[in-house]
Amino acid sequence: MAISTAQLPGELTNRPGRVGLKRVLGPDYRMAYLFITPIVLLVLSLVAYPFTYAIYLSMTHKLVGLPPVFVGFENYIRLTWDGFFQRAVVNSFIFTFGSVGFKLVLGVVMALVLTANIRWRSFWTGVLLIPWVAPTVVSALNFLWIFDGSLGVLNYVLVRVLGVLPQGLGWLSEPGLAMASVVAVNIWRGFPFFGISFLAGMKAIPAELYEAAEVDGASVVQRFRHITLPGIRNIMIIVVLLSTIWTFNDFQIIYILTKGGPGGTTMVMPVFTYETAFGAQRLGEAIAVALYLLPALAVTIMVLARYMRKGRKA
Amino acid sequence: MDRRIRQLAEQVDAHHISRREFVRRTALITGSTAVGLGVLSSMAHAQGPKMRVWLFKSYVTGGNDILAKQVEGWAAERKVQVEFDWATFGDREQKFVAAIEAGNPPDIAEMNYQGPLRYRPALRDVTKLAKDLAAPRGGLLPFAERVAQLNGQYSGIPRLVFGGGLHIRKDILAEKGLKMPKLYDPDVLDVARKCQDTSKDLWGFGQTLNRCDDGNAFMQNILWDYGGATWDKDGKPALGTTYLKENMAALQFAVDSIQKHKVQPPGVMSWTDVSNNEAYMAGKLVCTNNGASLYYAMGARKHPLYEKTQVLLTPGGPAGTFVASNPYCWGLFKASKNAELAEDLVRWVEDEKRFEEYMTACAGQAGTVYKTRAEHPYWKSDPNYEGMLQNILRGVWNGYPGPLTPASIEVQAQYILCDMAGRVVVGGLSVEAALKEAHKRVEEIHRIRSRA
Repeated sequence: MAISTAQLPGELTNRPGRVGLKRVLGPDYRMAYLFITPIVLLVLSLVAYPFTYAIYLSMTHKLVGLPPVFVGFENYIRLTWDGFFQRAVVNSFIFTFGSVGFKLVLGVVMALVLTANIRWRSFWTGVLLIPWVAPTVVSALNFLWIFDGSLGVLNYVLVRVLGVLPQGLGWLSEPGLAMASVVAVNIWRGFPFFGISFLAGMKAIPAELYEAAEVDGASVVQRFRHITLPGIRNIMIIVVLLSTIWTFNDFQIIYILTKGGPGGTTMVMPVFTYETAFGAQRLGEAIAVALYLLPALAVTIMVLARYMRKGRKA
Repeated sequence: MDRRIRQLAEQVDAHHISRREFVRRTALITGSTAVGLGVLSSMAHAQGPKMRVWLFKSYVTGGNDILAKQVEGWAAERKVQVEFDWATFGDREQKFVAAIEAGNPPDIAEMNYQGPLRYRPALRDVTKLAKDLAAPRGGLLPFAERVAQLNGQYSGIPRLVFGGGLHIRKDILAEKGLKMPKLYDPDVLDVARKCQDTSKDLWGFGQTLNRCDDGNAFMQNILWDYGGATWDKDGKPALGTTYLKENMAALQFAVDSIQKHKVQPPGVMSWTDVSNNEAYMAGKLVCTNNGASLYYAMGARKHPLYEKTQVLLTPGGPAGTFVASNPYCWGLFKASKNAELAEDLVRWVEDEKRFEEYMTACAGQAGTVYKTRAEHPYWKSDPNYEGMLQNILRGVWNGYPGPLTPASIEVQAQYILCDMAGRVVVGGLSVEAALKEAHKRVEEIHRIRSRA
């Protein structure tokens, strides 16, 4: 015969486990579950499930319109020995670190200029923000025209107006120049973000510190090194971290300007992923390409994050 | 917020009506709106079934307009609601992949030569329809036949193939007393050298080897022209084996046109499909290979070079003149609930009178895939159309001399031949090393696709 809980004696309903939970999690722990559940469900459905499914698909041979066939680590192994993929990895690092390095320097310069006592500071701040505000597709298409060998404005200025070159250059087609050109566009587009972020950091540094240093006889360089740089250190780390991730995943600039060509000279991971997915239409392998460097990126992010936390504690 | 509900709310605020009255009237308004929407929905259903039609947006805008008008005419006649979507070179395959993988493809779509074989698992068998259309039109041209069917089962219905050819400045050639070129080497090189004037930024030849359809087509053609190929007769990789010698000669010519002969403009290796059109129309090229869209664009804009341009049969090489002909096809999707209507739509737009209307608006772009359409007087109405027709009639299929296969399609889709050329011009590899590197990639694709 079933016994309802109402018939049970009081001491049996107040089980020690429940009391323990209440003691550990607090009196409102049931309410906490209620509040947490939607977030947990959202994270599971929008992040965990797609991510897990992507990992599964990366281990399959998946062609369009056909069910996936599990192949284990074959896609990853094949990619490891693929010369074009290897070049894409190397190019991705050149593109990312080349761009981020320059953006960092230019961003600091921009912030320093904008903190100085210059005329029309707000106007210049607005002007310098334009590359960051303009849609990437629009900027990239403009640069496609600027770099055009025959009709581009860059060759026109260098050859016809200034007479610096006897003949136009293939900005997007010559060895070395193609990668340099796409990096330049990325720098042009990304440095205002660095500059504005650093500017915000610099404005938060108390003016008294500079005054005290000046009184103590510190030079401009010393003030920059010992006050400005430590003052914006955390912002710098965050900005570099974000920009590294964004630049590494930048697709639009290279795809519009070169499609990874000529001959794979500017092929980077996002374009390679796209080409594998929609050109080759091997979806499993495309996801493997996308996930291949995820551990390396994750480690980079973790190291940087730990470094930041350490800095904050200190 | 609905205007009437807002008024009611204001009346409540002003204490003109009670809250109870507000709730009652709001419920009445909401209910009547819902009923109204339901009636509208059922009226929409009464207008007939709904069909999703994906069309290809070509650069020949006049043709796009006519095709859309014809589909709308069919929809009105059959009382069908048509939902159009257009895809172009850059977003076509992505849309198909996404729609098929999501299980939500259109009822019918215009797709390029890759579609019937690539999307075969999602496409309906249209053998009867394809044969019904081909029979009274003298049958399909060989390249179209290859593209649309596999082992006699059709998964696509060929519609058209782009006309095109070598667009050349006849005014400059006449001025220099030169003949129209037939072979790349020596004819095109000779014309290019003699007509080129770099001080005026006029270049002899404009042909990219970069990752784009133009680069792909040229690289494929030049291998055939020199007696080489990517695939052998059995559809096995032959780039760096069976035809190594011929392919080396072909690749050497392609690379030399940029590096040694210097008849191509700076930056040609970064060109995309539109770059040569722009350069030609800007008067910076003596000749360039292109589809009829270039001739159409000049005509539509009343461009001064329209009258000064001759469109010729694409030049050839020691083994002859070969042109990759990649027809556009209709694909009918299995998931469609309107299979009969989709077939009816194909019959409607492929009707000879309607196709004629479309073809004449396309300035040679709507090349024939059927034998009898090649005899249409339209192709003799302009000397340039004759060159385009010759290109079509000489057309061979991707994968030639072997069959069209998923692997041969993927080699094109991954721009393997363009990368091969790029590795020599930009990467500094020798011709042989680049060929062997590309051969490895082709073999890998063949291995993966054979397993599938």
